[in-house]
This record gives sequence, C-alpha cells and structure tokens, in this order.
Amino acid sequence: MLKKRLLRSERRHTPKAKSKGLYSRAIKQAFVKLDPRISIKNPVMFLVWVGTVVTALVTINPELFGDVADNNPRLFNGLITLILFVTLLFANFAEAFAEGRGKAQADALRATKTDTTARKILPDGSTTDVSSTSLKRGDQIKVIAGDIIPADGEVLGGMATVDESAITGESAPVLKQPGTDIASSVTGGTRILSDELLIRVTSDPGKGFIDRMIALVEGAERSKTPNEIALTVLLAVLTEVFLIVIATLPAIANYVNSPVSIAVLIALLVALIPTTIGGLLSAIGIAGMDRVAQFNVIATSGRAVEACGDINTLVLDKTGTITLGNRLADEFIPVNGHSLEQVAQIALVSSIFDETPEGRSIINLAEKLGAKIDFDPNTANGIEFSARTRMSGTDLADGQEIRKGAVDAIKGFVRSRGGKISPDLDNAYESISLLGGTPLAVCQGEEIYGVIYLKDIIKTGIKERFEQLRRMGIRTIMLTGDNQITASVIAREAGVDDFIAEATPEDKIEVIRAEQAKGKLVAMTGDGTNDAPALAQANVGVAMNSGTQAAKEAANMVDLDSDPTKLIDIVTIGKQLLITRGALTTFSIANDIAKYFAIIPAMFATVGIGSLNIMGLASSQSAILSALIYNALIIPALIPLALKGIKFRPLTADQLLQRNIFIYGLGGVIAPFIAIKVIDLCVTAVGLA
Amino acid sequence: MKNSQFSILNSSFIKLRSYPQKLAVYFLTILGLNLIVSPLVQASTGGVFSRGQSYALGLLGLVTISLFVYLFVVIFQPERF
Repeated sequence: MLKKRLLRSERRHTPKAKSKGLYSRAIKQAFVKLDPRISIKNPVMFLVWVGTVVTALVTINPELFGDVADNNPRLFNGLITLILFVTLLFANFAEAFAEGRGKAQADALRATKTDTTARKILPDGSTTDVSSTSLKRGDQIKVIAGDIIPADGEVLGGMATVDESAITGESAPVLKQPGTDIASSVTGGTRILSDELLIRVTSDPGKGFIDRMIALVEGAERSKTPNEIALTVLLAVLTEVFLIVIATLPAIANYVNSPVSIAVLIALLVALIPTTIGGLLSAIGIAGMDRVAQFNVIATSGRAVEACGDINTLVLDKTGTITLGNRLADEFIPVNGHSLEQVAQIALVSSIFDETPEGRSIINLAEKLGAKIDFDPNTANGIEFSARTRMSGTDLADGQEIRKGAVDAIKGFVRSRGGKISPDLDNAYESISLLGGTPLAVCQGEEIYGVIYLKDIIKTGIKERFEQLRRMGIRTIMLTGDNQITASVIAREAGVDDFIAEATPEDKIEVIRAEQAKGKLVAMTGDGTNDAPALAQANVGVAMNSGTQAAKEAANMVDLDSDPTKLIDIVTIGKQLLITRGALTTFSIANDIAKYFAIIPAMFATVGIGSLNIMGLASSQSAILSALIYNALIIPALIPLALKGIKFRPLTADQLLQRNIFIYGLGGVIAPFIAIKVIDLCVTAVGLA
Repeated sequence: MKNSQFSILNSSFIKLRSYPQKLAVYFLTILGLNLIVSPLVQASTGGVFSRGQSYALGLLGLVTISLFVYLFVVIFQPERF
C-alpha cells in the first residue's frame, strides 16, 4: 500500500512546475493587489486597506480628527500604519503565492500544447493541412504514426497505440480504437506511436481538457465556491458587528473621560476582525484546486471538489473498480451431456466478433482446447453485447444463432426458441458464483452447451480503502450486472456496505435518485456511454479519461489516470479543503480573546480596567503594537498550512470536530497570549513604545 | 462593483462607463454630503473641533457609513465579490 501511494504521488501529468522566481513574482503581485478594485473583493482586507489609509492620514497630521494628548503621536500612528500595510501585503502575498504556484503549473501544461498541423478531412473525402487552432467540434481529422493528436476527439476508425504521458505521466502506450467504452476517446497533445486513426474533434479551440486543466489551476477566472461564499458572508457579518462596536466606542470612551484616538480605534478594529482567515481564504481554495490537479484529476469547477468533501454515498461499478476488470476465461463447464470440445467450439464461435478482453480470453482458452473456426467469418453476422439483452454472439450464414451471455438471459433466449433448461446448468451457475466468478452460458439455438467461468480478482487494498471510507461516514454501494450470488460474494470480500446485482443502466440512476431523495450526496465513477445519465445525476461524477466522450461531458471531473478508486482521494481532498477552512476560521476567531486582553485594558487603563492586563504588557502603546504585530505575523506563519492543507484523518465527524476544536480552538486562545507577550518584550526592548 | 441596483450611476440620467469617471462622481458625492454633515458635527460638539477637524470627522463618518453599506451588500449579495 505504501509503495502504491508513493507511485501515485510521483505521477505528474506534466513535468513538475518550476518554482524559480515564484517568491519574487508573488511579492510583486502582493503590491499589485493593493489596487482598491482588487482589494474590494475581500471585505475583511478591504477594511484593513481603508484603516491603513486613515492611519496614514493621522500620521501626516495627528490632529486631523481632534487634539491628541499623546507624546509623539506621529511615531505611534506611523508604526500602526506600517503594521497595517504589512498585514495587507502578507494577505496579498498568500493569495499571490497560491496563484503563482497554479500559474507555474499552468505554464508547464501550456508547454505540452503545441500548435500542430492537422490533416482535416473535407466533405469530399480529400484531406487538407490546417492549423490545430482552427479545428472545431465536429471536424474529422486523420492522424498517423508520429503525429501529435491536435485536439480532443473520438475515434471513428482505425486502431493505433497512443503515448499519453504528456497528460498522465505514464509512458506505457494505450490502445485506441472505435466503438469501445474504454478506448475510443483521445486527448489533444498526446502522440500516436503506430498505425493511424480517424478522429472526430469533440472540443472547440481553447476548450479541450488541457485548456480546462490550465483554467482550473491558474485560478485567474476562479469564482467562489458555495462554501467560500458562506464563509465570506460569515466574515462580513463579524466585520460588520465589530465595525458597529468600534464606531460606537468613542461615545462611551468620551463619557468615561477616557478618549481614544482614531489610530487606536482602527488598531482595535483590525485586531478584532478575522484578518487571519480573511487573508488566507482564497489561498486555501486555490491550493485545494492545485492538489486536485496534482492527483491528475480535471475538475470543471471548485464547486465539484467541495461537493466531494460532503459526499455520503459512493456508487461504484464492480468490474474495473473493485475488481481488476480484465476478467479472464478460466474454465469451460459442459452441461446437457455435451463434451468439453463442443463447449469450446461454441464458445469460440460466439466470441469471434467480441473485441473485449473477456472475448479474447475465451477465444484463447477455446483454441488451447483445440477449437477452430470452420467457416468464413465474412459470411457471419456479429451480435453486439448490450446492457439490455446481456448477450452477444454470432449469427451464421445457415441461420444458426450462437449466443453467450448472462445465464438467465441465455435461458430466456433458449426458451423463446422452444428449448429446455437442464438442471446441471443451475449447478454450474451456482458453483461459479460461489467462487465469486462470472458465469456466462453459451448456446446454439435452443440448445445450451455449457458455462464459461470468467474469473474476477478483487484489487489488493480495496477492502482497506472501503474501511477508511466507512470511518469517514461514507457508504459504498457496488453495482454490477452479475447475478445475485456472484455479487454477494464479491461484496463480502471487498467489504462494500451494499450491492445491487443484475443492474441495468436505469438501476444506476435509480440508486442515485433514491439516495439523493434521502438527502444524501452521491458520488459515482463511470466510463461508458451508458454511465452518462447516472454521472450527470450524481452530485459528483468522475469519468475515466479512457472513457467515452459522453461520459466525460456528463461528469464534473475526469480522472486522467482512469483509476476508479481515485474517487477516494478526491473525497479526501474535498474534506481536507473544508476542514482547513473550518480550522483556520476557528483559530482566527479564537485569537480575538487574547487581543481583547491586550488592547482593551490598554485603551481604558485610566478607567480602572488596567487590572485586566493579565499578560503584564509594558504600556498601552506597546500592547496595541504587539497585538497588531501578532495579527500581521500570524498570516505568513499559517501560509504553509493553508497551502498544504490540514492533514486529513479518517475519523468520524464528531471525532474530527473534537480534535480540531481542541487544537485550533484552544490553541487559538492560548498561542496569542504567549506570542503577544514575547512581541511586547521585543517592542519594549527595541524602544518602539 | 458593476450593475449596482441602487446606484444612480447606471440610470438613464447619468451614463458613466469608465472607472475614473465613476470614482470622480463617488468622491464628489461624498464631499457634497460632507458639506451638510460637517457643520452638524461642529454644531453638535459645541465648537470643540475646528472647521478642518469637523470636515475630517464628517468625512470619516461618511466613509464608515459607506463601509456599513458595503458590508451589507457583501452579506446579501456575496456572489458579486
């Protein structure tokens, strides 16, 4: 498991983004973001911005708003102005640094995009060379070995191997061919290694997957997610409350004959409003999107990533998700008195048009047992598998119908042709199902010949991952077209909470709707066209990059590694994002307690509440400066945590809440008492106050 | 802030598109209001503050009220930010 984690984390869809110059660019951007048109988007920091301007004015003219009795007010006001200005710069730096990391990653992604020449097929069938940027959705192009695929598309014809390392980091070539759910789509920027493909372009210029990835990680046009909006409203409410308190404080101060200067009022306001989370909020969101991209997942929006954090139910396919996916024919079991050779022959004929790995493995096993094709395949007609019929096969030129498929589907087929079902069919079916395998019956017309045992292997470590999900409060439901017995055996071995056997595409949507009707948020993975409605219905739909275009368009995330268990990582990132925001908000608000005990006794010492100076701060001026300096310094101190995110632990919601309240709530109360005292000692030692 | 519903700047009477123009009108509006507010400040404080200090306090009050309004807009229309 540890080795697998390392391998996953080492994967990058691009070369690692360069961090050279990141700090200098972020510092420059920190000054650029001082523009009020940009600052006004952050209500907490905009108040700090206005406060800085006002304190700058009273530095220039200390008696601007009334006479002051302080000694050397200009120095004190100037220090407050400087600290507030630095607070603004730190907050802007945090956002600029997070954006800079995203931009560096976007630049690395852009480097993989090249303006290539494409062979566009004209309506009359001829080809013409055009620039890749001129291709539009619906255009047909031809690519040959050595070409870079110029745009995202769907394979219409041909068969070729493609190097997708530019986007997935994996150099192993991938087979692309038309008409399959898992190999018919291609991504722009990847390279054809052999043969040729006829492709229909499925995205307009600038709207391909790499472009969407660039837009997501760059964050330039990022809109706030629902959780961010809710948090912004909370911060604005707190800021409004404190603004009202500060605005009414001069009247009370004058009444008790303890007038307070404007600079001190602004210092108190800035100390009380949640500047820590106000300054780090956007950096947390941008860093969260970057983490998703680092896991090789393209999310269409931050909203989808956040929704992952609240997922209650995970709907997963069996084949390829919970099991290895490439089921292999392991054995033929004859029934009805037929011989093994006869079963092998029928199995071979039923699979000659079957391009799937299962079909190929049936052919291999049949040929090992001596079966041969004794007719011209060009005279026969292939019957494709469909989720409705759950059968596939071959119609021969002489009218014979050879079928293989789910046992009950074959029973229905045989009965409809007037055939009888022998009891040993059910025995074979049960024995295979109890082993967790998939039984496929084979028949010729009304005669059932035998059962094919398709062996399915559960992925290693999957049980532990489901246990982790259970601890996180997420319920797992396995959907499979297999029979009840096979499904229950696999479900028990894999450790899923529930399963639905003999599931049709409609069942997938029904399961999702039923869970959503209970108020749950549902996530689903899929790769086939028949998964598209369910992916669209789910709150979080993750499509595999190797899947069909329909699945990718319906989903709100695409996994470039085509790893269905990646959903677990995305859920972790979503939860981590929400937990990080919550924890730092708690810390920011908890800090206020210490700041009250620093500034209020200093402001009203003459009225008799100087005894509340429990930190023993040297003077009222040093107390105010220390609180403000702490307020400024805590922002860069928490930048690494904001960008990395709080480490996610698979605990229940109650356990997580208790843990984070203890660390960030209690820590947020205690830490500033110590820090402000230390800063006060330094300020007094330097002689600033 | 674009398309403010309660701003006179988007009315058919005054059509202003550029940011400097809008900024100039905002400043002029606040200074104009201050002409009403600052004498009130001076009168209510019994002449303790000089004329200049009254203007500055009036302006500070108007800026504070603007911040109240801005924060209310953030609370009720956060998606604009």
